[in-house]
Amino acid sequence: MPALHTSSIAGAAPVPEKEGQNNSVRVRPLGGAGSYSIAIRYGTATLFSIAALFASLGIQHLFAFPYPFLFLFFGAVMVSAWIGGMGAGLLCVVLSTVFVDYFFVPPFYSWQVSATAETYFVSFVICALVASWISSAKKRSEQALQQTRDELEIKVSERTTALMQTQAELSRLSRALSMDELTASIAHEINQPLTAMVANGHACLEWLSAKPANLEKARQSTQSIIQNGTRAADVLARIRALFRKEPPAKQLLDLNHLIEELVDFLRHEAATRRISIRTDLARSLPWIKVDRVQLQQVLLNLIINAMDSMSAPKVPSKEIVIRSRKNGPDQVLVAVEDCGVGIKPEIAGKIFDPFFTTKSQGIGMGLSISRSIIESHKGRLWASANPCGGAIFEFTLPIGSQDSDE
Amino acid sequence: MNDVRPTICVVDDDASVREALGNLLESVGFDAQLFSSTEQFRRASNLDGPSCLLLDIRLPGANGLDFQESLQKAGISIPIIFITAHGNVPMASRALRAGAVEFLMKPFQKNELLGAIRQALERDRVQRTENAELIAIQSRFNQLTSRESEVLELVVSGLTNKEIASHLAISEVTTKMHRGQVMRKMNAASLADLVRMSDKVKAYSRKEKAQ
Repeated sequence: MPALHTSSIAGAAPVPEKEGQNNSVRVRPLGGAGSYSIAIRYGTATLFSIAALFASLGIQHLFAFPYPFLFLFFGAVMVSAWIGGMGAGLLCVVLSTVFVDYFFVPPFYSWQVSATAETYFVSFVICALVASWISSAKKRSEQALQQTRDELEIKVSERTTALMQTQAELSRLSRALSMDELTASIAHEINQPLTAMVANGHACLEWLSAKPANLEKARQSTQSIIQNGTRAADVLARIRALFRKEPPAKQLLDLNHLIEELVDFLRHEAATRRISIRTDLARSLPWIKVDRVQLQQVLLNLIINAMDSMSAPKVPSKEIVIRSRKNGPDQVLVAVEDCGVGIKPEIAGKIFDPFFTTKSQGIGMGLSISRSIIESHKGRLWASANPCGGAIFEFTLPIGSQDSDE
Repeated sequence: MNDVRPTICVVDDDASVREALGNLLESVGFDAQLFSSTEQFRRASNLDGPSCLLLDIRLPGANGLDFQESLQKAGISIPIIFITAHGNVPMASRALRAGAVEFLMKPFQKNELLGAIRQALERDRVQRTENAELIAIQSRFNQLTSRESEVLELVVSGLTNKEIASHLAISEVTTKMHRGQVMRKMNAASLADLVRMSDKVKAYSRKEKAQ
């Protein structure tokens, strides 16, 4: 019977570094044949056949059958096969056959089998073999079922993790795409009324300077300028409404927990890029009141930036360090440190500007949005150089109970 | 030709832009024809007088750049000024390579637009003059007898009267007579003038064959 590797499977799931946080999948240890040693399995088989022998001998005189009462041996065979598998079942069959031959088949207390008892003896052996086979087969199928179930559980949890990662990537992508499309459409939507306004303005001047001045046409042109100006303002109002769709929903939460969640979430991505993420989080950090999704977005931006900066071929260390600590009496501070390519001094002043990017695929909104999120939480976000050559991005958030804001 | 008011065609799907451009063009003395799509323009255009086309790039159905191509394939050579709210360098270079007069980014100033229109109309005028001249030459050319066309061919290829006479196996006097007739019928002031006309007709028929 194949032994099941129950312990190694649990290790395959991502294991967070901090103790006591282990929420990875644990496979229930399997009972049954697979986990018993050979000695126990065959010992049990022997024990059961001997027990059956004595029990049968003990109760034999109570029954007035023409044939000896041998059903207890079937029981022993089935139990042995159930516990010890096919091998133990067969051992029990052999022992039972020997006992039955010697004690119960005439002539008694001899190894001979009389001609009259031959059929009976053979059918006993066949029945015992069948019982052993059925019992062990049943056990095997149950174990297989259990194993499949456990494997399924692991697969489901692995798939869930993968799906969550895909989803995160998709949402990042769609955000980038929609930003790109948004800017093109904003440019178009604003430029159309502006074009009409400029053209009408020039036309109005022409009508006024004509001799004689065409006041009716000039009036119509001015009317059109007003209409188009209003249209441009409507476009802007629509865009602002779009960005304001969801007011930040602030809640009191454990910043360390949020960081750990995100790090768990990104571990797979980090592993594929051969980057490790280390956390150095202050114990008993006070809880803060923030918008969970927005803060996740900031951390995600900073960590992904750090990863991107370390994709260059020669970086001293492929480790991202995320620290949290209390900063003075009324602030917490989070730092994301990397040893990537760093920030060149000539662009240091621009990295938080909208549409500024150093990535070929970037749209340059990540840091700009991150800063505005942190500032809307009355915190600060800034960057500095890491002595190892990379960058350190740090932000502070106020501790406390300003429920009044927004 | 100067007494005809030039017609400026505007193709833009945005009604307010279209009408504003119409208003501006009218205010400076142009005839503006406004179209909301390229199909509308194709169906309506019977532009005999001087004209040019203000064409938006992002249009419902056909893209302006593709429309430029299809006009060229159809042999319609109206000068095009592109106007767009979201242009980029590849778009502009494609448009200008394909013969556009100008590529204007919305919003544009009156002088940019009028400068481009002036340039486009000038190009249109040159094209029309050339076309008219070509048609005139062609009709004169068609009046020549077959013997006269033969003589014309040999004259413009640089042969002397004597050489032409021996080539066609006719007398030198007859050759001179044919030659005088060709010069008169073609309305040519000099031999150089005749060569120029012949080249034009040949270049045109080559172009016709290519299309």
